Amino acid sequence: MIDLLGITKTYTTGAQSLQVLKGVDLAVETGELVAIMGSSGSGKSTLLNILGLLDGYDEGMYRLDGKNMAQLTERRAAELRREMLGFVFQSFNLIGFKSAAENVALPLYYQKVPRKERLRRSHELLERVGLLEWADHLPSQMSGGQKQRVAIARALAAQPRVILADEPTGALDSTTSEEVMVLLKELNGDGMTMVVVTHEAEIAAECQRTIRLRDGLVETGAHV
Amino acid sequence: MFDRDAWLEVAHNVLAHPLRTTLTGISVALGIFILVVMQGLGYGLQNGVEGQFADDAVNSIWVEGGRTQLAYRGHQPNRPIKLTNADVAGLTTQADTVPASSRRIRLWGAEIVWENPNGENRGGGFGVRGVDPAHIDLERSVLLSGRYINGRDVTESRKVAVVGPNIVRDLFRDVDPLGAFIRINAVVFQVVGTFEDPGSRWENRVAYIPFSTAQQLYRTDGGVDQVLYSTGDMATDATVAQSDRMRSWLKDVKAVHPDDSRGVEVDNNNEEYAMYASIFDGIRLFIWGIGLMTLLAGAVGVANILAIGVKERTKEIGVRKALGATNGSIVSLVVMESTVLMLVSGSLGLMLAVGLLTTVAPLADHEYFQNPQVDHRIALFALVVLVLVGLASGLGPALRAVAIRPVEALRDE
Ligand SMILES: Nc1ncnc2c1ncn2[C@@H]1O[C@H](COP(=O)(O)OP(=O)(O)O)[C@@H](O)[C@H]1O
Ligand SMILES: [Mg+2]
Repeated sequence: MIDLLGITKTYTTGAQSLQVLKGVDLAVETGELVAIMGSSGSGKSTLLNILGLLDGYDEGMYRLDGKNMAQLTERRAAELRREMLGFVFQSFNLIGFKSAAENVALPLYYQKVPRKERLRRSHELLERVGLLEWADHLPSQMSGGQKQRVAIARALAAQPRVILADEPTGALDSTTSEEVMVLLKELNGDGMTMVVVTHEAEIAAECQRTIRLRDGLVETGAHV
Repeated sequence: MFDRDAWLEVAHNVLAHPLRTTLTGISVALGIFILVVMQGLGYGLQNGVEGQFADDAVNSIWVEGGRTQLAYRGHQPNRPIKLTNADVAGLTTQADTVPASSRRIRLWGAEIVWENPNGENRGGGFGVRGVDPAHIDLERSVLLSGRYINGRDVTESRKVAVVGPNIVRDLFRDVDPLGAFIRINAVVFQVVGTFEDPGSRWENRVAYIPFSTAQQLYRTDGGVDQVLYSTGDMATDATVAQSDRMRSWLKDVKAVHPDDSRGVEVDNNNEEYAMYASIFDGIRLFIWGIGLMTLLAGAVGVANILAIGVKERTKEIGVRKALGATNGSIVSLVVMESTVLMLVSGSLGLMLAVGLLTTVAPLADHEYFQNPQVDHRIALFALVVLVLVGLASGLGPALRAVAIRPVEALRDE
């Protein structure tokens, strides 16, 4: 599903430049649940953003579902994100003034799915993550674990091929972290390909494989 | 455009910060309010001043004799200048064209009496003017009944009169004056018509009689008090040249010093009117200037709160982009918000202004200030301007929103 070959990425701030990725090679197969680990600042988020087409890379080759991702226009990137990718963030990033159901329906809005159909599907998804009775609540009325489950439902809404999660349990205590991991594993069990960035060994241990980043290179676990 | 979700979001964003929205809304409303009210007041002033011109035809030149101030060619100053039939003929040769003209003889306080069927005399002091047929257009009189002085009246020096509304009211009351015989300074005239002059209170107290009759009765020396020339549709510049030519010709013939400003009077209404017209152009420009400036200030306010809004919502916009929002959908969200802000507050200002003007309008009745009103085209134009300015003021913040990169907006730190 995902193939990276020799990906490099350098950030330049003023006169300073920092090469965060120095030639990353890795592959993720369809249906896998993979963890990306590394110490803080090792470039995990940078890598995930490149995978999510939210950021570009300098050199190397990225193939998503067999298609080369070089030289994408912004419009094309937005389109691919809409169709192929679902995101889960550490800080949930739900929209505060929208109910759980509306948050989940938002990606469908950008796919121009009619409103009725959107809300029907968002209710199904909320049921899937066990939050149907919370559909009309605002994020501010929910716990961290519930918010992250709403975020996961939102990531699923557009029926993506891959879910990319950046520290999805980073803001949660260990019990709710466990709930979220159970949910992610269930979804993976249904066949969803998932890449989970984490710096916690317990979380990585629940995934099928761990890709370890160090000094801008993949140390272990690049391939199945 | 009629996307319910987009409108709900706009409503939410507008209502999320009531104070901020209200203050900006007030500045926009004020801009439109000032623009429309001042426009209305300017209109009132213009109506008032144009009412002053309603008395006489705007495209006319008025000539009469005065009194000299300067000694010239052996004449002492303070000499009255009187026009004659020959002067009028000469003046007419100085005109480029004469679409219409009328001589005039003026009596200020004539006694007019009507003996009613009961043998009772009703009378009073009124004005009398001896005129030619074209006088009706030059004086802008409106015929109410019967007929005006005609060519045969003048060639045959008939004793007929066309009387104004005050004479009808004071002498005849409810009786139809047509055909009645009145005495003007003891000479009997038959009333053949009635008129009114909306532009002049004085003229409504006047009886018009044929010029030749008046000259024979009251100017036995063959004098002519005044001559009125229409200039038709000549351009103002050409009429000015013509009135200048008439003035110097007349001064020469009457031995009036070229620098004497009182000896003869040649008044060109075209010129005066053009001057007022240009003053009003100036006033209008001024009003538009102020109104548009205020509106611009409002637009800057709107652009500002949108920019703040976009900044506050950086993260939200980043999320939307990550979820597949296109730049177009982000732009339309911001631009819709600015347009709604402008339109709602602008319409409020417009309504207030129209309300004020319609309540004040009936109260305003001064000679130089009449009937202030809202020009519908201006109200419409103001709305169009509001929409355009709304679009324009949303554009900057919208482009800023487009420039937001999701990676940066979403970084957790
Ligand atoms: N936009 C950026 N500009 C400059 N430096 C950046 C930027 N994004 C990340 N970095 C730097 O790149 C390094 C890797 O960041 P990141 O990928 O967020 O690491 P991780 O997620 O593994 O903690 C860090 O040193 C960070 O400061
Ligand atoms: Mg990170």
